[in-house]
Amino acid sequence: MRKRLPVFDMTNGSILVLVVLACVYPFVLMLSTSVSDGAAAASGQIYLWPKGLNIETYKYILNNPRLGVASGMMNSLFYTVVGGLVAVTVTYMTAYSLSKKRLKGRNVIMMLFLFTWVFEAGIVPNYIIYHALGLVNSRLVMILPTAISTFLLIITKSFLDSLPGELEEAAFIDGANDWTIMWKVFFPVSKPIIATIAIFNAVLIWNQFLIPMIYLQDSKLQPITVVLYNLIINSSKGGTSFENIVVNGVQLLPQNLQAAAIFLAILPILFIYPFTQKYFTQGMLLGSIKG
Amino acid sequence: MSAQSRATSVVRMKDGSRPRKSWLKQIWGLKILYLILLPGLIQMLLFKLLPLFGLVIAFQDYSVFNGILHSDWVGFKNFAAFLHDDYFWRLVRNTLLLALFNLLFVFPIPVIFALFLNEIRVRAVKRFVQTLSFFPYFISSAVMVSILYRLLSPQGGLVNEVLNSFGIQSVFFMADPNWFRPLYVALNVWQLFGYNAIIYLAAMTSIDPNLYEAAEMDGASRWQRIFRVTLPSIRGTIVVMFILAIGQILTVDLDKILLMYNPSVYDTADVIQSYVYRQAFASGGFPNYSFGAAVGLMQSVLAFVLVMGANRFSKKFTESSLF
Repeated sequence: MRKRLPVFDMTNGSILVLVVLACVYPFVLMLSTSVSDGAAAASGQIYLWPKGLNIETYKYILNNPRLGVASGMMNSLFYTVVGGLVAVTVTYMTAYSLSKKRLKGRNVIMMLFLFTWVFEAGIVPNYIIYHALGLVNSRLVMILPTAISTFLLIITKSFLDSLPGELEEAAFIDGANDWTIMWKVFFPVSKPIIATIAIFNAVLIWNQFLIPMIYLQDSKLQPITVVLYNLIINSSKGGTSFENIVVNGVQLLPQNLQAAAIFLAILPILFIYPFTQKYFTQGMLLGSIKG
Repeated sequence: MSAQSRATSVVRMKDGSRPRKSWLKQIWGLKILYLILLPGLIQMLLFKLLPLFGLVIAFQDYSVFNGILHSDWVGFKNFAAFLHDDYFWRLVRNTLLLALFNLLFVFPIPVIFALFLNEIRVRAVKRFVQTLSFFPYFISSAVMVSILYRLLSPQGGLVNEVLNSFGIQSVFFMADPNWFRPLYVALNVWQLFGYNAIIYLAAMTSIDPNLYEAAEMDGASRWQRIFRVTLPSIRGTIVVMFILAIGQILTVDLDKILLMYNPSVYDTADVIQSYVYRQAFASGGFPNYSFGAAVGLMQSVLAFVLVMGANRFSKKFTESSLF
C-alpha cells in the first residue's frame, strides 16, 4: 500500500506540471519570437529560445505611430488607471452607504442593483442610451459604464457589514461626520477588499474589447486590444498591417512584429499578476459564498 | 444610530409629548450618507436601468432621427422577422451547439483538474501548478485569439510547421468552418480551467480530514479516495456551478466569436449575438437597431427560463439549489 502512493504522486504531479507548462508555453513562445530575427520566425524555427536575440521589433512598433501600438498602450493604461480609480471610489462609497442600516430606502436600492444585474438590456438598447448620453467616441465609455459591478458591490458591502459597529460609534461621539468616518475609520481597515476591487476592475478594463469596438471608432482613442485586432486578426480585411523591412541588420517581418505587439499587451498583466493570487481568489471566494 | 440622535430621543417636548422626528428631518440627518450614495445611484440609473427602457425599441421601427419617443410602434414585427429570417435555423443551431460543446468540456475539466491537483502532497508543486493554471484567465480574448492566429498561421505558425515536418500539408485553421467549434471550445478551456477550479479547490479545503483517515484505514486506494470521498464532498458546489452554467448557456462569449470568426466560417461560427451585432453595428447600410434589440430580448427571456428550469430541476433531484 505505502509503496503505491509515490508512483501515483509522481505521475500525477508530473502530468499536472506538464499541463500548466503547456498552458503558458504559447506566451513564452510569443516572447522569444518577438526578440528573434524575422526570417527565423517566419520559417518556424523558434520553439523555445530566440534566434538572433534583439529588441528591434519593440523599437520599431513603438516608434511607428501609423501602427497605433504606442497610442493603444497609452490609451489602455489611461483607461485602466483612471477607470480603476473611479470604480474603486464609487464602488466603495456606494457599498459603504448601503451597509448602514440607518439609510432609509437602502433595501429598495439594493434590489434595483440586483435587478439590473439579472436583467441586462443587451448591446443594442445600451447603445441607444449611451449614444444619447454622448458616449460614442468618448473616453468616458471606457470608464463610466463599468464603474460599478454589482458583483463587486455585493462583496464589498458584505465585507463592510462584517466590520463591528463600535468602529463608528466612537468616532460619532468625537463629532466626526459620515464622510470623515468613511475615509478615516473604515477605509484603512478595508484595504484587502479595496485591493480586490482594484484588481478586478483593472483586469476588466485592460481586457475590454467589445465596448471599444462598438463605441470608439476614432483610432486615436482605441485601446491596445482593438489595435491588436486590426493589426493581427483583421489585417487582411483592410486593417493596418506590417511591412517587411530590415533595421540594423535584423529582419522585421509580420511574424516577429505581431509577436512583439502581443507580448506588449500582456506585459502590464505580468506586473499585477503576483498580487492577483492573494486578492483575486479571495474576492472570488467571498463572492461565491455570499452571492 | 448616531450619538446625537440618540441624545435627542430621550428629551421630552414642553407639552409632554415625545418629539417625533419628522421623516424629512431624519433624511436631512443622513444627508451626507445620501450624498455618498449618489454617484453610485446615478451610475446605476443611467447605465443599467435606463437601457432597460431602451428595450422598447424592440417593439418599434426605431430610427435615429425620430428617437425613442417618436418612432413608430410595430408590435411584434421585429420578433416575427427574426423567426422568418433566412439564417434563423443556422443561428439557433450554431448557438446551441457551441453552448453544448462548451458545457461538455469547459464545465467538467476544472472539476477533474481540481480533483487531481488536490491529491498533490508537495505544497510547492501544488502552488506552482495552481498559480500558472489561472494565468490565461487574466489575458484578454483579443490577445488569446491573436496568439491563436500566430500559432495556427500557415506562414511560420508553430502548429503548421510541426504538421509539415510530419509531411502533412498546412491547414488554414481559421478559415475552415470545421475547425471553428473545436478551436472556440479549446480556447475557452485554456482560458478558464484554472480559474474555474479555484472554487472547487476551496470547497475541498473544508473536507474533514478524518474522512480521508477513515478511508485509508479501510484500505481505500487513491482512486477510491478521489471518487468516494472528495467528489461526493464537493457535490453541492458542483451542482450550484452547474445551474450557473446552464443560465449562461445561451450567453456565448461574443468578444471571442467576433475575434475568431470571418465570413468563410459563418456556417458554424455565426451565432445569434454576432448576428445582432452585425445587424446593428456592422451592416454597412442602415443599422437595424430594433431588430437587434428584439432578438437580444428573446434570447434573454429564453436564458431566464433556462435558469429557472435548471434550478427547479436541481431542487427536486439533488436538494441543492441557487434560490
